[in-house]
Amino acid sequence: MLVSSIMQKPVVIQADANVKYALDKMRESGRRMLPVVDADGRVVGLFSTLSVIGHLVPDYIVSGDLDDIPYAPDFGLLRKHFDAVKDLPVSQLMVEPPFFIKPEESLLSAAAALVTHAMFDCVLVNDSDHRLVGIITSSDVLEQLRSMPKDASHAG
Amino acid sequence: MPAEALHTSHILFGLDPLWVAISILLCVYAAIMMEKFNRAVLSLLGAGLMILSGVLTQERAVEGVDFNTIGLLTGMMVIVAISQKTGMFQYVAIRAAKMAKGKPWGILVMLSVVTAVFSAFLDNVTTVLLIAPVTLLITDALGVKPYPFLFTQILASNIGGTATLIGDPPNIMIGSQAHLSFYDFLVNLAPIIPVIFLVTLGMIWLMFGRTMTATDEARELVMSFNEREAIKDVPLLKKSLLVLALVIGGFTAAHSLHLEPATIALFGAALLLLLQTWSGDLHVRDKAFEGIMAEVEWTTIFFFVGLFIVVTGVEHVGAIGWLAEQTLILTGGDFNATAAAILWISAIASAVIDNIPFVATMIPLIENMAPTFGGDQAIVPLWWALALGACLGGNGSLIGASANLIVAGFAQRAGHPIAFMQFLKHAFILMLISIAIAHVYLYLRYLMP
Repeated sequence: MLVSSIMQKPVVIQADANVKYALDKMRESGRRMLPVVDADGRVVGLFSTLSVIGHLVPDYIVSGDLDDIPYAPDFGLLRKHFDAVKDLPVSQLMVEPPFFIKPEESLLSAAAALVTHAMFDCVLVNDSDHRLVGIITSSDVLEQLRSMPKDASHAG
Repeated sequence: MPAEALHTSHILFGLDPLWVAISILLCVYAAIMMEKFNRAVLSLLGAGLMILSGVLTQERAVEGVDFNTIGLLTGMMVIVAISQKTGMFQYVAIRAAKMAKGKPWGILVMLSVVTAVFSAFLDNVTTVLLIAPVTLLITDALGVKPYPFLFTQILASNIGGTATLIGDPPNIMIGSQAHLSFYDFLVNLAPIIPVIFLVTLGMIWLMFGRTMTATDEARELVMSFNEREAIKDVPLLKKSLLVLALVIGGFTAAHSLHLEPATIALFGAALLLLLQTWSGDLHVRDKAFEGIMAEVEWTTIFFFVGLFIVVTGVEHVGAIGWLAEQTLILTGGDFNATAAAILWISAIASAVIDNIPFVATMIPLIENMAPTFGGDQAIVPLWWALALGACLGGNGSLIGASANLIVAGFAQRAGHPIAFMQFLKHAFILMLISIAIAHVYLYLRYLMP
């Protein structure tokens, strides 16, 4: 089984689109993760719902020695930060550089890449000309395994 | 040590070992100040060059490494890494803020008292890594500017750290190499620290405190913080408190038991590691152990190892003895003038450069002065001058101590950057005042004829 046969067509977002637009596009397409492309269509980063949350939670909570703050009430901080973030271009919130695999790699290789780069639950697929051709998530891999007959183990 | 300087037979290319050693030292210090490369890498390269160029033999280099400093640092890092997982430090910080009834100035004072006390017993960097985030959370809830709070905490961490043997790396080095105990530090340095701290707080009140206000709703918000929720692991909390008490008690008794603080700290670390991973299967216990070991700041540890060897090289060729003689010529061999010079020069130098390499160089220099002033016992006040100057001097600028830079990093990422010049304007004068107080204290207690 090869990556090319299980990958989905990517839904992309332009680097200069704002966060609000990107979130709308995510809701429409049912994706939690969008590859970010520049004007030439090259992938420059990854944008996910988690990227947004990462910008809403103050850095001092996650980067110091606090770990978590079970003792603190919510004092409108997230909402305030969300208002500040929603008009920013996605390029300011995206994570780079994304991780790529090739369409001719095996299902095992795709699963390994998903685990190694676990943060966004997806790996991008590009062809030999570095064009984005697909995207794979952990559900894609599992769906494939569920529908795979038992003796199909030799297939790739 | 001029006699040792004669052993120059193995030096590379017949170069003068004096200049080779000094060049290596100056290059390493200059490169550290440029901050382009990791300081541990630079000090280890310098240490390697001291040996490869033939200035030091391998044996002499290893002898130069002060394993008491290394052991004490490592042991305390392990103990703190485990203790902070219990949430006890956050509990204390929030509890303190609530004791001020949510009033901004009161919170500032309480959090800086906590910072000063923690810094006296923990590494300053560890302290601010714990306190600065809690402070930003509270100032966000309170709706006030965090700068005065963070500014005060930087000063409090360096002032509190001066008080004890384990409070600040310069004190650890001085204590170990000059054979001064935890108790010596407590008796000689700790008494002046509250005075310096209170005067500093008074000045900060004049600068910022008078205009601080917060709305009643914001104050209630802070009062609604539930510090009990901060405690994550009660059994581990009990174990940590037990070991912390044993270790601090051990430090106090160490001298009469003829034990080095490093022995106490490493034993405490091993004991807490054992207690922490008492039950559970072996695999889980190994994971927990490796997790704690990964939290030890190996960069700092290896920085010290390299630095000790570099300084040993320079001392070995007689350069530090020469520098000590020159200093004594400048001060006319007068003890009071020498103590004052050490205090003020250490303070100014520590405001500008990393105080760890500075103190590492000053220690053999002061040791070399012992014969002039009548032996090891006679020069003890000079060690207090060095400790006060080097630790308090860190308050002089934003780059004066690692803790300062860490707080500045938090402030920057929270959207309230601390400007270098702004900090300098507020802090340098406060640092000078603290050194002046230290000077008066040293004079009254040790120098007055």
